[in-house]
Amino acid sequence: MQREEKQLEMFLDNSLSKLKDLKIAIGQMIQKIEFEHETINWPTFLDNFALISSHLAGLSKMLSLEYTPPIRNLTVLPLNLSPDVDERLVQATEGRLPIFAAEIVPDYLRTKPDPSAENRMNLHEAKANAITNEAASKQVAQFNKIVSHVFDLISKSRDEWEMESLHRNVRTETCNQGDTQTLVKAIALGIGLKTNSPMMMQQPRGVPGQVPVQMGSPGIQPMQLGKMPSSIKTNIKSAQLHPYR
Amino acid sequence: MTSENQPIAAMDSLLQASKVNIIPNQEYLLQGSILDVQVQRLLHRLKGLCDNVETAPEQFHDYEACFSLRNIADEQAIHTAPLLLRVRRSNDPADSHMPWQLRYVGNPELGDTKRPTLVRSCFDISCSPSIMEFLTEMGCRLEFEYTVRGYLFRKGRMKITVSKIFRPMNQEPLSGSYLVELSLLAPVGADAVAEDMRVFAEKLKPLVILEKIDHRRIAPN
Amino acid sequence: MGVTILVPYPLDNKKTGPEVVEELSKRLLAMQATQTGHFLVDGDVFESSFNKTKIHVMHNSEYPASVFSILDNGQKQIPLITDLIFDLLMLKVNPIYASRKQLKIESKGPRFELGDFLVKLGSVTMSQSQTFKGLLIEVDYRPCLIPIICWELIREFLQGFLGQYSPTTIPVYFTNSVPNPHHPVPYQKSNDTYQPIDTVQQYLEHFNNYRKQTIALMMGPNK
Repeated sequence: MQREEKQLEMFLDNSLSKLKDLKIAIGQMIQKIEFEHETINWPTFLDNFALISSHLAGLSKMLSLEYTPPIRNLTVLPLNLSPDVDERLVQATEGRLPIFAAEIVPDYLRTKPDPSAENRMNLHEAKANAITNEAASKQVAQFNKIVSHVFDLISKSRDEWEMESLHRNVRTETCNQGDTQTLVKAIALGIGLKTNSPMMMQQPRGVPGQVPVQMGSPGIQPMQLGKMPSSIKTNIKSAQLHPYR
Repeated sequence: MTSENQPIAAMDSLLQASKVNIIPNQEYLLQGSILDVQVQRLLHRLKGLCDNVETAPEQFHDYEACFSLRNIADEQAIHTAPLLLRVRRSNDPADSHMPWQLRYVGNPELGDTKRPTLVRSCFDISCSPSIMEFLTEMGCRLEFEYTVRGYLFRKGRMKITVSKIFRPMNQEPLSGSYLVELSLLAPVGADAVAEDMRVFAEKLKPLVILEKIDHRRIAPN
Repeated sequence: MGVTILVPYPLDNKKTGPEVVEELSKRLLAMQATQTGHFLVDGDVFESSFNKTKIHVMHNSEYPASVFSILDNGQKQIPLITDLIFDLLMLKVNPIYASRKQLKIESKGPRFELGDFLVKLGSVTMSQSQTFKGLLIEVDYRPCLIPIICWELIREFLQGFLGQYSPTTIPVYFTNSVPNPHHPVPYQKSNDTYQPIDTVQQYLEHFNNYRKQTIALMMGPNK
């Protein structure tokens, strides 16, 4: 018996400190909203919110632990009701609750829902019970159908989206190193552009097919240089029909 | 006669300007290419990234000729790299009143792997059309020529060109890709701009890989 | 812009160059001209290391952002107009084309405005030693672009303040026949639209004369 009491006390202490943390977090949140509602940004707001929810989560986790004493079985009894202002109560509640009188006790010590809420719940339960099994299963089927349809839509577009991004990753072939080299070499050094011909601008230079003699292999370049002019000469002589003359 | 407002000889003021590094004579350069079929995507992206949103892309169609000047009097100089001079003009009849461009480009600065871009000295000189005859008479040899068609974008002081290189005589494209160049002209010591260029080039990945390419390293010797 | 006529002012031994400039300045001021600063035209010579080709690189303070270059291969002259940065390029072209510092000439002096006319009194000096070579008077008639049309007017104006030293015929530069690239018949500069390069070419002719004189003088005593 004594052990249980001790356990309960420890539990209450823990809960109190947790509740205090929660209270502080809520207080800070309220303060932020009151005073900084013009400058606060979403990230900080959400951070605060996350703090509160983590406190709540911690609290409910503690309640669900196995060795937690079953507080459900305990009773809270109002021992002293008075219509006068109770200074100690004011202090304990930080000025929130000055009087502990008959009309507010049900609100503060309530363990069942509000009567009006309870009424509405009963109403809904009655309505649910009134439906026949057949109708209910029909509605469930319909609802399932709609949900699965929406699910299909979403998963289909997700697939498409993933396919597209996958496709994009696969199709990385947008540039070619070889082409870069060819182009840079051409404009910097004229490789692939040189005409091999001593003749200059505006002059026709052999047949077009011969022109792009790629000087890929540097070793034979001078030889080509030496060879080319003769063939060009004959070309020019023979070709009044040359398309570039 | 007072001497206080004597005009200073042009050469003196130019040397002075060059001493205090206000002449933009350094070119920072990154190069890459993009396949023809993908060029629209690149243009689209550049349109979004660059300054001249309303007018972009500006199109151009130029002719460029590269001349070399060697010191033929000096036996030993024959084996050294010749001085390269480039002449560029617009092929667009609407630009016929525009000056031609004479361009001197020095060798890229080596040994600096940390620098994100290629750096080379560069003079861009507007000139009259007589430049071709002038250079020829000077003893310059026409090394090669090409025509180039493409699009020009600007981002701050950066210039981005996406262009297709054609052989001049048959207007046949040189490759199945567009040449992409990101360049900037700045005075000596303005190295901070290279970092801006690196950041910009990063935004074009993986569509285009812009790199510092040393022309001498890819050259067949 | 306008038409510019450049005339040398012969010096007798009675007066020095600065004295003549002083006198002409007074005369111009008496004609209600206003002095508007100074001017400077200079010319460098770059000579090829392997043939006789010369490149004259010239500047005119009237066109401060331009470089006027004239390539002379002995048979023909090719003018080229560029940005100022061309000067830096010429430094790169060294030693293939080396600057002949001894042949550098400049003409500088006061600049006057008188109605539609511009008058510049240039004292010509050569090489780094600034040896005085003579006087070149530049008269610019600004509303007109065709030399032949306004020559008479300029001649009259020149007579007004140069008196007996004023030229009676238009300088030879304008009457030489120039081959026409678009037409078989050669034309004369006097009928053509005047351009800034024409001013520079007139200066070049006179500069070259001074250079020849100097070289002849230097060679003379030695032989």
